[in-house]
Amino acid sequence: MKNIKRALEKLRKVRKKQHHPLLYEIHKKHKISKKTLFYIKEYGTEKKVISTVLKESIKILIFASIISAFGGLGLEEIKARFIAIIPLLVLMPALNDMIGDYGTIISSKFATMLHKGKIKGRLSKIPELRGLFFKIFTIALITTILGFIASILISYYVKSYQVTLLTGIKIFSIVIIDVIFLISLLFISSVLLGLYIYRKKEDPNNFLIPITTSVADFANMLILAGLVILFF
Amino acid sequence: MSFFDRDFKEILSSELVSIIGGLLVGIVLAIYTDKLLLIPGMLVLLPGFLEMRGNISGSLSSRLSSGLFLGVINPKKIKSKIVTGNVIAATILSILVSLALGLIAFLFDYIVLHQVVVEIIFLPLIAGIIANLIEIFITLFATFYLFRKGHDPNNIMGPFVTTTGDISSTLALLITLMII
Repeated sequence: MKNIKRALEKLRKVRKKQHHPLLYEIHKKHKISKKTLFYIKEYGTEKKVISTVLKESIKILIFASIISAFGGLGLEEIKARFIAIIPLLVLMPALNDMIGDYGTIISSKFATMLHKGKIKGRLSKIPELRGLFFKIFTIALITTILGFIASILISYYVKSYQVTLLTGIKIFSIVIIDVIFLISLLFISSVLLGLYIYRKKEDPNNFLIPITTSVADFANMLILAGLVILFF
Repeated sequence: MSFFDRDFKEILSSELVSIIGGLLVGIVLAIYTDKLLLIPGMLVLLPGFLEMRGNISGSLSSRLSSGLFLGVINPKKIKSKIVTGNVIAATILSILVSLALGLIAFLFDYIVLHQVVVEIIFLPLIAGIIANLIEIFITLFATFYLFRKGHDPNNIMGPFVTTTGDISSTLALLITLMII
């Protein structure tokens, strides 16, 4: 037992950029999985957890904020027109949430698949990844339609905003185009970035969620702004 | 592996909860349009501010889930060094990112709109601290609770965090607006 503790302490002290054969030695001798050892090495002590998380996350979160702010610029420019379409204003946070949620689910599930060693060979032939794609797509369509109907009803009851058939079709088209485009973007960016980060021996959990969600957020705002200009 | 399996049901149900949360925020925005959205630069600030909560708490939950699944974190012991470290890091991140968002919106107001709106710096900072206090603890306890109950927190925590984050962030923004 003492030996394991000493070995793990040694492993925690190994610098990140150094090759660490110790990991393989502990794995072999004490039968602890390499993934567990990777996690222990990455987030060893309390102090190390804070510095690792801050170091790995801060740049990406600031980057995400800048990207999101740029996305918001698009809407700020057409603010007057945008806030006049009440159902879209009501639906905007839900849409943003949805995109963020799917980004988080896709990213964290893909990160777990990577950690578990399930991502091998051609990506399109991995049943778990294919299943995830079709499930997310189906759920996104169901929730978008429900959200659209709810936003129309809310606008009517809260702000007495009456939607004509034409306006309804326009709002529905905006929302559906936006969601289909963004789910595809989320998948592509999560998979490509996840693979890249994992190959660089970093934990994709710390990077994937902020990057994918902010890219999707940025695209969401710009697409919404563009479609509002196009349709209204 | 069935298409409509447990994963599908978990994601769909949590997504429905998320939609409800988003719509609640939408209602608040529609009602308080004149108070919230007419502040110059608010639409520059708002998406990033709402997103931040999901980014920080989502990553926190994802890291904790990985630790729980790998057996590095004991599901019965929340008070451990690794969990405390994660909470402290998430709090620091929240303060720094809120400040950055405020500065970005301030610069936008100054450069594009030629207006000096100092409140736009303090608004996300104070609101961020208030929302963070609520959100991090919700994330922590929900992740552990779900794992102990045999669920995969990865399926539920994403939507859950963004929903609660959106609501707490919008409420925190309104409270801060009243304070300022």
